[in-house]
Amino acid sequence: MIKAENLSVAIGKKPIIENVDFTARPGELTAIVGPNGSGKTTLLRALSGELPSAGRISINGKQFEALKPWQMAALRAVLPQSTSLAFPYTVREIVRLGLTSGYSGAGSGEIESLPDRALSMVDLAGFGGRFYQELSGGEQQRVQLARVLCQVWHPVLDGEPRYLFLDEPVSSLDIKHQLIIMRIARSFAESGGGVIAILHDLNLTAMFADNVVMMHRGRVDAAGNPRDMLSDDRILRVYECALKVGVLPHGGTPFILPQSAAV
Amino acid sequence: MLKRMEFAGSFADGGGQVRGDRSGVARAAIGLLAVLLLTVMLFSLTAGASDASAWMVVKHWLFSAVSPEELSQRDRIIVLEIRLPRIILGALIGSALAVSGAVLQGLFRNPLADPGLVGVSAGASLGAVGTIVLGGTILAPVAALLNIYTLPIMAFLGSLLTTFLLYGIATRRGQTSVATMLLAGIAIAALAAALTGALIYMADDQQLRDLTFWSLGSLAGATWAKIGASGSIILLALAAAPFLARGLNGLSLGEASANHLGIPVQRLKNVAIVTVAAAVGASVAVSGGIGFVGIVVPHLLRLMIGPDHRYLLPASALLGATLLLLADVVSRTIVAPAELPIGIVTAAVGAPFFLWVLLRRRGILDL
Repeated sequence: MIKAENLSVAIGKKPIIENVDFTARPGELTAIVGPNGSGKTTLLRALSGELPSAGRISINGKQFEALKPWQMAALRAVLPQSTSLAFPYTVREIVRLGLTSGYSGAGSGEIESLPDRALSMVDLAGFGGRFYQELSGGEQQRVQLARVLCQVWHPVLDGEPRYLFLDEPVSSLDIKHQLIIMRIARSFAESGGGVIAILHDLNLTAMFADNVVMMHRGRVDAAGNPRDMLSDDRILRVYECALKVGVLPHGGTPFILPQSAAV
Repeated sequence: MLKRMEFAGSFADGGGQVRGDRSGVARAAIGLLAVLLLTVMLFSLTAGASDASAWMVVKHWLFSAVSPEELSQRDRIIVLEIRLPRIILGALIGSALAVSGAVLQGLFRNPLADPGLVGVSAGASLGAVGTIVLGGTILAPVAALLNIYTLPIMAFLGSLLTTFLLYGIATRRGQTSVATMLLAGIAIAALAAALTGALIYMADDQQLRDLTFWSLGSLAGATWAKIGASGSIILLALAAAPFLARGLNGLSLGEASANHLGIPVQRLKNVAIVTVAAAVGASVAVSGGIGFVGIVVPHLLRLMIGPDHRYLLPASALLGATLLLLADVVSRTIVAPAELPIGIVTAAVGAPFFLWVLLRRRGILDL
């Protein structure tokens, strides 16, 4: 379990997030949603150990400060919103960098096949020999996801659940690949790992998330299951935008339709 | 569980060579480069202004085919006391410069970083010139303490200072601005050059003669004693380089991602800077400023074997040594019996070559 208590991050003197309490459980996909500038990415970066923060964060019961970078790398992998690459690597070489930490959990016989298997999962089989910089933005994002998957290939290692941190994993993808990537995240959670994903698409959130954390102006507005979180009035208040929320007939999954008239 | 997600029929190209995996090519290239280096070393031993029958010495040495009586004392001295130390030092310096270039480029995440271009060499020069000019006066206690290591260590400190300064200025929150790096490099180099100039102004005639030849870059002063002092520092730096490879690969994705991969980024940066400063400082101390090896060699190799530092660093060491030895052969034969400073040769070949690479690839490479 990842647990943050009373978390605050300031850049310079400007507070970006304040007094955030956050929990993500293994076996679940936790979605962080909220309008632009509400502190979603800052929260994720604090949770991944990238930004210094005030407050307490623990991962599987271990305090953050006690963990070395390589110990963190064994417990979580992070997909950033965008990645700038310095040198002309091939796609396969990039994906292979995910094995750097040495904690994929794959056996030695299996390890060299991981990059190609991860590429197949993100629907990029056969792209290994291409140069990363020659790919489209969406393809590059999927290559990075394949790399991240290699790092924590087994969602549970030595009895410890591991975590995927995804910052807008589907933001530049077409609808087919949005679904493929969300299913991979889902599958990771169902295998015992934990997923924390920043999402903008509330319908994907309703469909795939077990738990929704709604951010608003640097604070957690509320957290809970998608059905409770995605209500007309909450969305109107947080996003300042009128949406029609309906419920799908089977299973009661909410769906969200934009309305043409703004408020 | 994750296996369930793999899509059927996607392993059509399984087996045989894996696409996008250049490690096999890289390993073969390293083997070839090692053979090439040995060949060039042997060739370099026999080439020179003197008609010393180096083959006799080499034959005597390697194959015991020539008896000692057949060797003239002069040949023996030319080969063993002049050419051999020069070749070993040349190979060490070529390796040091090329590996420093590769490490610096990995650290700055930029193929334009070169010890000569961004002021690292200028810092080393300042340290070295300071030692030559002030070694008898203000720095005399230091010189007495460090003995033959004074020059390389002072040059090392000079380059260490400029590298940290450069990194501090050019990198903010893990992002290195290329423009800032190059401009800050120019400014730092200019400042170091101004201080160096002031020291030269204070120098006496004998010191001036030492300085002039040294500042153009030359291997002519190679002796076994210098190999002992600078060579040992260079060897230490070269030995540290392989431990940086994994981290520099991760750093290609940016500092944050490198951290996520489990790389202790701050420590990596410190070790990389000290390594580069040691290699460049020790090189500059014996041979002056030899430019462009650090930028041309890694660049060429990245085109051939890719940017994976696990292969790029050893390959750079081998190719850097080879190219510098070839440049040295040119420098001591082209105007024989006189000698052209090697820095002129590397700049004359390296600068146009680099411009050519830049023009050819400017569409693809994101500088």
